[in-house]
Amino acid sequence: MITLKTEFQKIKRRKLGLTMFALTGIQFVWILWATKSPNEKDLAQGWLNLLHTLPLLNVIMMPTIMSVLASRLSDLEHKGNTYKQLRTLRRPGILFDAKVFCGFLFIAAISAVQILFLLVLGYHYHYTDTLDLRYYMLTLLLNFACCFSLYLLQLDLSLLFFNQMIPLVVGLCGSLLGLILMYIKMYSFLPWGGFLSCALVGMDWNIETRVVTYFYREHSTIELCAMGMVFVWIAIFYMAGKIAFTRKEI
Amino acid sequence: MPKQNLVETHNLTKKYGNVRCVSSVNMQVPPGAIYGFLGPNGAGKSTTLKMILGLVRPTEGNITLFGIPVNEKNRIKLLTQTGSLIESPSYYGHLTGEENLRIMQTLKGCSVKDIDEVLKIVRLDGARQKLVNHYSLGMKQRLGLAAALLGFPSLLILDEPTNGLDPAGIQEMRELIRSLPDTYGMTILVSSHLLSEIDQMADHVGIIRKGELVYQNTLESLHSHAKSRIALRVSHTAIAMDLLRQDGIEISQDEDYLLLPMMEDSYVAHLCRRLIAQNISLYRIEKREKSLEDIFLSLTGKETSL
Repeated sequence: MITLKTEFQKIKRRKLGLTMFALTGIQFVWILWATKSPNEKDLAQGWLNLLHTLPLLNVIMMPTIMSVLASRLSDLEHKGNTYKQLRTLRRPGILFDAKVFCGFLFIAAISAVQILFLLVLGYHYHYTDTLDLRYYMLTLLLNFACCFSLYLLQLDLSLLFFNQMIPLVVGLCGSLLGLILMYIKMYSFLPWGGFLSCALVGMDWNIETRVVTYFYREHSTIELCAMGMVFVWIAIFYMAGKIAFTRKEI
Repeated sequence: MPKQNLVETHNLTKKYGNVRCVSSVNMQVPPGAIYGFLGPNGAGKSTTLKMILGLVRPTEGNITLFGIPVNEKNRIKLLTQTGSLIESPSYYGHLTGEENLRIMQTLKGCSVKDIDEVLKIVRLDGARQKLVNHYSLGMKQRLGLAAALLGFPSLLILDEPTNGLDPAGIQEMRELIRSLPDTYGMTILVSSHLLSEIDQMADHVGIIRKGELVYQNTLESLHSHAKSRIALRVSHTAIAMDLLRQDGIEISQDEDYLLLPMMEDSYVAHLCRRLIAQNISLYRIEKREKSLEDIFLSLTGKETSL
């Protein structure tokens, strides 16, 4: 806890909370724009629509947001050559865990704010379909897990490389991949595609009537495997990062 | 009973591939000493100090701190009794000097009051609220020393602490380091590639060359090697050498000069008379002193960069 406390002491004046809020705010603006002036049909499946939109936005934006978060937490150590001092005071594994947990708290806050925003928006528009809070809570948890897996990947890279452009480029590429490969099934198995496999709401677009219908998805076995892959990535990135960080000589 | 060394290394070795950066170093730092760890650039000073601090894993050998063999389990516990400043200072530029020290104080678990005290010691109390990014290099270096002093550890490990400082800063840092053992009972292990710096600061010295510890003793003992000699330049060097050897004088030749050990003035006059009596012309009589620098160069090799 003491090491975690110092993580928050270190980020004073870094405006990390503000940066995260601003980047997440872009998603909110996007959702506001996408849901403006709803008609009766939109209102009738508004809660479902929101649950469908969020993972799509996350798959595009979260790789970049997570790379910024990890980079902002790591580059202050690189710039100040602080690890040679910190490692004489704490085991490297504890220093790594503190970074992980600090990011964990930020992601928990971001995920919670996202769901809260959707709920406020839904109540504001008075959507007429039934709000199933369980799905919203599950989305919160799954979004959190996906963000966390990406954060761990980005943290590993940010701690490994002095030049933060490398992890940031990986984050941006993750976002671009999301745009390009979003509808390819195997993409869901990649770390950046977790949001898609974890999406609880699907969409059916009738090409003739041009009517969009949202529905709660029933995940196939392969989709459940892709969902489970998110947790496998968490384990892999955590272990790989911790081992690499612990073994790294200064 | 001899006092236990605060730092001991036994056959400490570090290899990177086939290159031995540090080779079987047996360092012994007695308590209360200012141990100057001297060597040319790239000799292995920083690597040795990093191994002592656990930042680099030794390939062979082991380290004892405060009489206890260091292992992965007790390393951090032992290091809580040490302070360190390795190469450049560590700092968070976006935070003030005081905030930087607050982080280190939190991690060290020492008293908050220590922050005020160490800031006073390094004379940064006037700049405590200034962002470290706005500090000069000397101020950053002093902040690094302040961080090392937090908790007033019994062992301070400083790697080239005067690097990048101006002459006034170097003198200030040197005086500060010199005062620490008496004022706070600290033992200091300080590295430098500058002989003059160690000469003015340390009371014990270890000289490392190409990864090997080639000398280790008190500075006083090193000084005792700095013998004065009498140099003679004569017309017939070989004949003069034979003649002087007949008198049982240990004599050596350095180019055109004959080198004799120091002796009474009257005996020098006697030798001169003997040489002149043999029709050997005496061109010069000089007193030559082997400086500490000469000893250092003879130990580390002249080809190495200083």
